[in-house]
Amino acid sequence: MDSTVNSGLDHAAQAEVDEVDLIPVRTYWQMARRRFLGNRLAVAALIMLIVLILLAVVVPTVTGLQYRTTSLDRPYGGAEMSAPLGYNDIGQNNFLRLMKALQTSLFIGFAAVSIIFAVGVSVGAIAGYFGGWVDNLLMRIVDIVLSLPSLFLILMLVAFFGGGNVWVIVFAIGLTSWTTAARLVRATFLSLREADYVQAARALGASRFRIITRHMLPGALAPILVACTLGVADSVVTEAALSFLGFGISPPDASLGNMMSGAIDFMVRQPMLIVYPGITLILIVLSASFLGDGLRDALDPRQRVEG
Amino acid sequence: MTTYVIRRLIQALPILLGIAVISFIIVHVAPGSPIDKFRTPRVSEEQLQNLYRMYGLDKSLPEQFWSWVTSFIQVWNTDSQGHHIAWGYSFSNGRPVLDLIMERIPATLLLMGLSLFTTVVIAVPIGVLAAVRQYSVEDKVITTFATIGYAVPSYWLGLMLVYTFAISLNLFPLYGIHTLGKEDPVDLAWHLVLPVASLTIQQVAGWSRYMRSSMLEVMRQDYIRTARAKGLSSRSVITRHALRNALIPIITLLGLTIPSLLAGAIITETIFTWPGLGYLGYMGVVDRDYPLVLAFVMVGGAMVILGNLIADILYAVVDPRIKY
Repeated sequence: MDSTVNSGLDHAAQAEVDEVDLIPVRTYWQMARRRFLGNRLAVAALIMLIVLILLAVVVPTVTGLQYRTTSLDRPYGGAEMSAPLGYNDIGQNNFLRLMKALQTSLFIGFAAVSIIFAVGVSVGAIAGYFGGWVDNLLMRIVDIVLSLPSLFLILMLVAFFGGGNVWVIVFAIGLTSWTTAARLVRATFLSLREADYVQAARALGASRFRIITRHMLPGALAPILVACTLGVADSVVTEAALSFLGFGISPPDASLGNMMSGAIDFMVRQPMLIVYPGITLILIVLSASFLGDGLRDALDPRQRVEG
Repeated sequence: MTTYVIRRLIQALPILLGIAVISFIIVHVAPGSPIDKFRTPRVSEEQLQNLYRMYGLDKSLPEQFWSWVTSFIQVWNTDSQGHHIAWGYSFSNGRPVLDLIMERIPATLLLMGLSLFTTVVIAVPIGVLAAVRQYSVEDKVITTFATIGYAVPSYWLGLMLVYTFAISLNLFPLYGIHTLGKEDPVDLAWHLVLPVASLTIQQVAGWSRYMRSSMLEVMRQDYIRTARAKGLSSRSVITRHALRNALIPIITLLGLTIPSLLAGAIITETIFTWPGLGYLGYMGVVDRDYPLVLAFVMVGGAMVILGNLIADILYAVVDPRIKY
């Protein structure tokens, strides 16, 4: 097809076309990367998140179960080289516990978001692609899940189905929080369903699965990515609330929430023990939300919002 | 408008039914049986079986669901002493669940209403200030505060407030709604300060951000330029023309914050042992008090649906362009 078009052009025009081609063409992702890297706050947030993830992976891996070790010699012990944050009431190393808690929280955050992604994208894609009664049914389910008092339901699920089990917490959070992702994907799919290139793919005989995954899903990727980044922050906060209320991870395992609730009884003696996990939690939430904002501005400049 | 409200209420019924099905299934699939707590060495197997039948646990799940739903709807049913029996009896203290919930509503409404009120009173002016002086020092301070405040979990903030103002400075009480034997309004107000503050600070962070962006959006409109061009004072442009329109999306937020208020109530009331709905629900989960937990999910779901409806109605009330 190219040759027939080219043969209709004279040489001058051909040269012009070649010259135009010399201007570097940037793909969507290259442009998005440039926009993202130009956003100092978002880059700082990404670096912060990477540092937190590295700490959460490296420190507990190297020190193993040391975070559980109690010591009768050192209750409320002060800071030293191997324990920069001192010791708690039963002589456990606060720094190691904080790092383990960070690992637990980030793991739950990312695992819950994987469920949110999987369920949200599947429901949204099926509803948006097929439309009709399928869409109607799935959206009514979304309405129901949206109307559930979610924190209470998560509390219920975790308390009734074995608190302390990380996977119960992950599923409880994931299964109540996928609705935003589903709505985003559905909206994109509804608008793309009749798009020319999708019609073309259909006319070429592409299978439904291929059209959904290869042609339509990339169009919905930007909003999902943003929603998932913010979802990590929400899930981490929810997990901390659960453990704080005594339903999530319980000692001797460490989580940001149970470190806070455990420190309440010793608040007068060691107030900083509430401050450390709190600051860590705030750092996770701040970096995830700045990263989310940065991704939105980079991936979808039209949606840029003031503030 | 009336037909719209009626239609929305009818649409809410299948959603409530869906919530009922989900919560019923969770409670029934959960490991353990409600009669387990009666299982002590002095109770015979036969007595347990009798209890099993008495609670209707020998019937099929759909039958149990049906009898629960039909009795749940009949909220007007009372026993000879005037207790509401429709929502069953609490497993932990044997009192009618509906009575328990009704008793706790005033304390929660007081806490939530007051924190919502303080939130609006603080967030609207600072949001407007930040928008009117965009990129100024004030704006940057407010935006930074809002961003950080949004990331601070309310329970952690509550603990910090307790440590600073109740333990270190000994200014406010640690927990509860009344000092024992002292039930005057001053004492109540004293107990309200810390829980309201811990709920308000986070809400202000979110609301001032919304207010700022809503105000910025309005300030860009042509009619604001017209108002300025015809020589109105800056004050008049902001309060009479911009603010009134910028408030429209904020007013609808009122209804939509109900779910987050409910979640906040569970956590904040538990920290401060505030005798409201949230603390009741928390204790229900701790005690595995199934009738109470089921009722709490239904009330929570109804509140969320009602909140959405209120948001839509308010939207139509404040914005004459919206018609249903």
